[in-house]
Amino acid sequence: MIEWILENKELIKIVYGLIIGLMCFFIVLRVDRIFRLSLHQGIRYLRNAFFFYGLAFIFRYLIGGLIVYGYLNSVFYIWTKIFFEFFLVMAGFCLLYSLLWKKLDSDEKYSSSLFNFKMAIFYLIALMVVVLDFIWNSFYFLFFSQILLFLFMTGISFSNYVQKKRNGKFLKYYFVAMILSFVVWILNAIASIYLNWNPMILISIYLLNSIIFLLFLFGVVIVTRRN
Amino acid sequence: MGKKRERLEVIKDILKVIRSSRRIKPTRLLYASNLSPQMFKDYIKELREKGFINMDEIEGKKEFYLTKKGNNFLQEYRVIENFVENFGL
Repeated sequence: MIEWILENKELIKIVYGLIIGLMCFFIVLRVDRIFRLSLHQGIRYLRNAFFFYGLAFIFRYLIGGLIVYGYLNSVFYIWTKIFFEFFLVMAGFCLLYSLLWKKLDSDEKYSSSLFNFKMAIFYLIALMVVVLDFIWNSFYFLFFSQILLFLFMTGISFSNYVQKKRNGKFLKYYFVAMILSFVVWILNAIASIYLNWNPMILISIYLLNSIIFLLFLFGVVIVTRRN
Repeated sequence: MGKKRERLEVIKDILKVIRSSRRIKPTRLLYASNLSPQMFKDYIKELREKGFINMDEIEGKKEFYLTKKGNNFLQEYRVIENFVENFGL
């Protein structure tokens, strides 16, 4: 089994990127319909988060895989890593902002979802993280930023669950998804720093990530289902 | 004192009043919406910008009416409300 995984690791990565990308695509489509009706800022940033997650996974695993198999020029390989990191950081910010927007700026009225003042700040920070990791030739800044971010979001989602559990049954699963995401980022950091990207840890990360995105897809489909 | 209405709830209430009257004058809508004049003005501006309501002016008399988009919003309001609650938004 381990041998088969090692022999086919690039193929596994492509399938993994495709599955996560497709899940994000369905989430974005469903959430976008609700956003267009309500123009609710929290919904807008949740949609944006999954838009960026989708892009990140497609760039890193699908396009990256096609480069490894020689279908695309290897010159672009470094760009798949850069875009992957940039989109992941953007997605994390959007997810956090979807939970916090009411407390920070409840009167926000931007006409564009991807080009506005708030997003410009996110783009700038994401760019800084990417540049710093590029200079150090590492993922340390990405890991550190995401561990902090998901620790914070775990706290917010736990507070939401405790305060509003009667109104929203998915709040419990949202909290679980945040804990799992936090664990995934810690595993990523350990695998990178201490275990030289051990394949078994990587497979565990892929499985956990798939569960997290499945949880969100499940929540979005159930909640947006028309009676 | 009752709980302060959420923004989405206020929008739903205004749209429901307009839908039930089909066409309604601004003064009547202001009374029915239970908002201060300034807040009412802000909400009406927002609803017109979003394309949920439109206004006709016939012989100097203004009347609001619901658009197709506004009607869709009311039909999907429960879904939107559920979504916001379930995702802690």
